[in-house]
Amino acid sequence: MSTLQQPIIRFDHASFGFPGIVALKDLTLTIGAGEFVGVIGPNGSGKTTLCKAVLGLMAPLEGHLHIFDCACDELRCHHRAKIGYLPQKGVVDRNFPVTVLETVMMGRYGAMGLFKRPGTADRRIAIEALTHVGMERHRDTALGHLSGGQQQRVFIARALAQQPEVLLLDEPTTGLDITTQYNVIELVEHLHQELGLTVLLVTHDINMIRTRVDRLILLKTRLYAAGPPADVLRPEILREVYGKDLVITEKDLIIVEDYHHH
Amino acid sequence: MLDLLTYDFMQRSLLAAAMVGGLCSLIGVFVVLRGLAFVGAGTAHAAFAGVAFAYLMGWPPLLLAIVFGLVTVWITGWIEEKGTMKLDVSIGILYTTTMALAILFIGLMKAYNAEVYGYLFGNVLSVTPEELQVIGGLTILVVGSLGLFSKELYFIAFDQEMAEASGVPARKMFFLLLTLVALTVVVSLKTVGAILVFAMVLIPASTAYQLTHSLSTLTWYSLMIGIGCSVTGVLLSALWDIPSGPAIVLLSTLLFFISIVLSPKRLRQPLAAN
Repeated sequence: MSTLQQPIIRFDHASFGFPGIVALKDLTLTIGAGEFVGVIGPNGSGKTTLCKAVLGLMAPLEGHLHIFDCACDELRCHHRAKIGYLPQKGVVDRNFPVTVLETVMMGRYGAMGLFKRPGTADRRIAIEALTHVGMERHRDTALGHLSGGQQQRVFIARALAQQPEVLLLDEPTTGLDITTQYNVIELVEHLHQELGLTVLLVTHDINMIRTRVDRLILLKTRLYAAGPPADVLRPEILREVYGKDLVITEKDLIIVEDYHHH
Repeated sequence: MLDLLTYDFMQRSLLAAAMVGGLCSLIGVFVVLRGLAFVGAGTAHAAFAGVAFAYLMGWPPLLLAIVFGLVTVWITGWIEEKGTMKLDVSIGILYTTTMALAILFIGLMKAYNAEVYGYLFGNVLSVTPEELQVIGGLTILVVGSLGLFSKELYFIAFDQEMAEASGVPARKMFFLLLTLVALTVVVSLKTVGAILVFAMVLIPASTAYQLTHSLSTLTWYSLMIGIGCSVTGVLLSALWDIPSGPAIVLLSTLLFFISIVLSPKRLRQPLAAN
């Protein structure tokens, strides 16, 4: 586990939600530069709310959130371009007319700002991002012609094209076959090590990430546990959070039955 | 045929058709990609209600068309953003309400007014020099805005949530797009009419959509198809003495069906991007 270096994300008794509905309450948490953090929890535990908060799309109802020295108490945050975001996998229209390179170039747009056209430097950065995810030779292929795993790689490249300091991934393996799931997680681990990126990985797949992350954050509408995986993944804690949906096998595999992950 | 081109009215008509065809086909790319087809149809009828109200009150028709179109399209955008009602339901209600208003305003007029019906069906062959100037001015405004913000508009058309998360002012861009759609509809009312204007927005981009997997190629194809069909439609209209609006739209529709038959997207083998 990396020692907590410069803190870049700080929640201070922060609550998030909508008027009358609190999705995540009283969260106090610090994430340091260069950490690889896994975020787990059952459905409705506030994982996606956490993502939206980090992206500055949701202001705290109470408490404070600081990201890169930006106080995100109101929705005017300018740090978004520093956070490469991979949203939950949606359905990509197979016929949407966009090539792989055009998709990755979109990752440059936020950082470039208005009124500027992408130049050769932006194109070079986009191609480098494609190289990092092993998709450079597909740059002129239509996005819709790629497999689900290849499309995820392209979307990770789009996030990398922002030249982010933080990579925020919301359920990056959902809908992929088991081999592709491992490939995607291995790619994320590789990017964390090679580029020194701070990674926040939201997932249901506890077994997939438990040996790879520095810290795990367990949510259930509040911060239930945080720390090294061995400290968080204790049967008594997991049973409290997941209840009857949880099975722990003799080989220490954690199976959350709701999601059929083995 | 060449004699026709020497007439002032014909030169004006061809210029107006080229501008409106190009403008509609450009904005159509973003409308098709962002899934706003029905929004445009509703806006066209709202703009027509504005024209009818203007003639009833003796006010400038273009100004009222812009006001009605913009108000309708902004309400639509606001409802979509709130997510409290399905977009097709809200547009359906606004569409029928504005059409009812148009019929009401026409019914309140003391006498039959042919000019109002001119905006419903359109006639590019009767475009005046002053109208041509207005079309030119608004075309420069809309095309200029599309050029300035094309990268952001493409991004929100592809994935608005992702655009917002990347630091692109996605909400502002969405409302800019809606505003440009309304202005395009108003510019085109006199030439093709409220009923057919949206065919000119939708069909060239939808035709180009069949033919390519690249955003930039799609835009160029749509522009060429839009201008080509508009200019050819006006020439056919003058040669065969048929209404210009239907000539343009039916020609575009023919091209659309041909593109479906020839579409590389319907072949089994994946093709290169362009």
